[in-house]
Amino acid sequence: MKNTTEKPATDLSRRRFLGRSGIAVAGLGILSTGLLTPTAWAASAVGEHGSATLLRMARDIYPHDTLEDKYYAAVLTPLAHKANADTALKKLLAEGVKELDQRSQQLFARNFLELENEPDRVFVLRAMEDSSFFQRIKGDLMMGIYNNPELWPRFGYGGSAWEKGGYINRGYDKIDWL
Amino acid sequence: MTTQFDLNDDSLVVIVGSGAGGGTLANELAQKGIRSVVLEAGKRFKLDDIENDEWKMFGKISWLDKRYVEGPARLAKDFPNLPAWIVKGVGGATVHWAGVAMRFQEHEFRMRTENGTIPGANVLDWPITLKELEPYYYKAEQKMGVCGTEATGMPFHGKSSHYKVVEEGARRIGAKCEQATLAINTEIRDGRPACQVNGFCMQGCRIGAKWSTMYTEIPKAEATGLVEVRPQSMALRIEHDKSGKVTGVLYADKDGNHHFQKARLVSVAANSIESPRLLLNSASAMFPDGLANGSGQVGQNYMTHTTAGVYAEFEKPVHMYKSTVVPGVVHEWKDNDPSRGHYAGYELEILHLGLPFMSAFLNPGKSGWGRELADSLANYDKMAGFWVCGEDMPVESNNITLHPTEKDQYGLPVPVVYKTDHINDTRMRNHAYDKSTELLEAVGAKKVNYLPPYPASHNMGTNRMSKYARDGVVNGWGQSHEIKNLFVSDGSQFTTSGTENPTLTIVALAIRQADYIAEQMKQGAI
Repeated sequence: MKNTTEKPATDLSRRRFLGRSGIAVAGLGILSTGLLTPTAWAASAVGEHGSATLLRMARDIYPHDTLEDKYYAAVLTPLAHKANADTALKKLLAEGVKELDQRSQQLFARNFLELENEPDRVFVLRAMEDSSFFQRIKGDLMMGIYNNPELWPRFGYGGSAWEKGGYINRGYDKIDWL
Repeated sequence: MTTQFDLNDDSLVVIVGSGAGGGTLANELAQKGIRSVVLEAGKRFKLDDIENDEWKMFGKISWLDKRYVEGPARLAKDFPNLPAWIVKGVGGATVHWAGVAMRFQEHEFRMRTENGTIPGANVLDWPITLKELEPYYYKAEQKMGVCGTEATGMPFHGKSSHYKVVEEGARRIGAKCEQATLAINTEIRDGRPACQVNGFCMQGCRIGAKWSTMYTEIPKAEATGLVEVRPQSMALRIEHDKSGKVTGVLYADKDGNHHFQKARLVSVAANSIESPRLLLNSASAMFPDGLANGSGQVGQNYMTHTTAGVYAEFEKPVHMYKSTVVPGVVHEWKDNDPSRGHYAGYELEILHLGLPFMSAFLNPGKSGWGRELADSLANYDKMAGFWVCGEDMPVESNNITLHPTEKDQYGLPVPVVYKTDHINDTRMRNHAYDKSTELLEAVGAKKVNYLPPYPASHNMGTNRMSKYARDGVVNGWGQSHEIKNLFVSDGSQFTTSGTENPTLTIVALAIRQADYIAEQMKQGAI
């Protein structure tokens, strides 16, 4: 498993690039342990309900129906670990979940998790997208899903090539449908 | 190899920056026997430091010092602290570039004469012509190893799958499309290997097939024993004497200690944000508005090219990443034909991003999430598309200024970059969106995505060349109108942006400038 732990300098630079605060790179090592249950990842930090809510939210932010929960959970797990040692982050997550539920209650008289229609959930999330809570989750997910070498084959992306001699002898000019 | 010059040696040329302009100038001068010190704000990287990893390289080499983007353009909202995507390191922006090396067209040196006054724009003719620059373009192409040119005789790279899709679309709508003239070896040349199509040209070529001053001009210059490169040396201020001639550069080393390097001549080549910033920061009682700024044009007319992205999703795989980053260019609309509804021209540069950057740029900013975006990213392997690169109108109010209160880690006022579209830029971009859509749909695109401009790698115009001192900062040699021994050697001297990527022109100008400096020094004029 590729170790994607980053130095703080890189972390900072990414944050600047993305114009928001709080992006961290997910540690993906947990995937290989097989011990993960989909909703338990963040229970220690935000409780079972919060944990399940954040997972639902994560799947709505970058919805890839064929990607297993573990990939989304693996982005959020290190966030929960971090939150246990960082009261501000813990508060951000807990209050974010609370606000999600409040907004869902106001609009649909149900908690976010109980909104069965994706457009309803998206409606609630859109209204919160400028918040630092939302952007924190989104930023971590962008790195954890699309910058995750383990997932690149699923998207048909090749990643690093120089060590394989590039693509000059591996089909750079092949296309059969033109 | 490790030449060291004395701080009090006032016979030296001091060059601020080691990229296309500064790195080339240092080597050209050294080959003529002229000694220089190159002050480079960033670190020295090795080829081993270059990885095929978009985010890692972004974090490693980018210029990330504090800056502000202002103006109503979306860029200011999406990237409030990152106006430009350039490099802090030996080699400068020649580390991060796709290798596209095209000459300006003849008319692009005289856009004021071509089009007359364009309201709201500050267009001026260059004080030089294509004819004057042609011999230097040839030398630059030889130096950099540009494939597909007479200067090198190197063949093109061959047509990648990404290229073939666009070529077929272009054929179907009758648009001109050609393989790109790239400063990337297709044969072993100048001690560097041939391209093996890693697909990561832009962020630093791992094998050194792409030209960068980092491993060409700089080591060649150092090998003469006449050049000392001082990495992690941030220029703070240029000083001058009572007669108004510059005397040297004050800089901070990696530990923050200040040194003053004396100079016979100073060349500023720190890219179009830092170069004017340095001149503005060098204001004195004699030059209260900054050095070389009698015209008030230092920092003004900031241009980035009119840019956008266009990515189509097809039914079947393209695998665009298996290609040089820019395998080809659609040239159909590069001319100046106002009947299209806009002045000046643009190129559609076939260009790929990896999945990590595509996820960040397909819909950048806070709203970039949700099923539509995810569905498009799920089609990553079926994408093909362009980066639009068009001439940008010089607008005086697009500029670099100094923050009134906030200072950076060197104690210098943070630069504030104001940039927004001239109406011509907007019209051009919309034309490019329409034409790319037509082209991509002609070859079967199911969906076409429009990407807004992202942080600029082409930065130009903030110390522009002009015939008359009242209109600009430097003359046709990049020499300050006001201070004879102060030169500008980077893209900030561009009078207008042209349609083409700036690096080849910066290198050609630096070669030409070196001839001039050598001649002037010989005559004792400077």
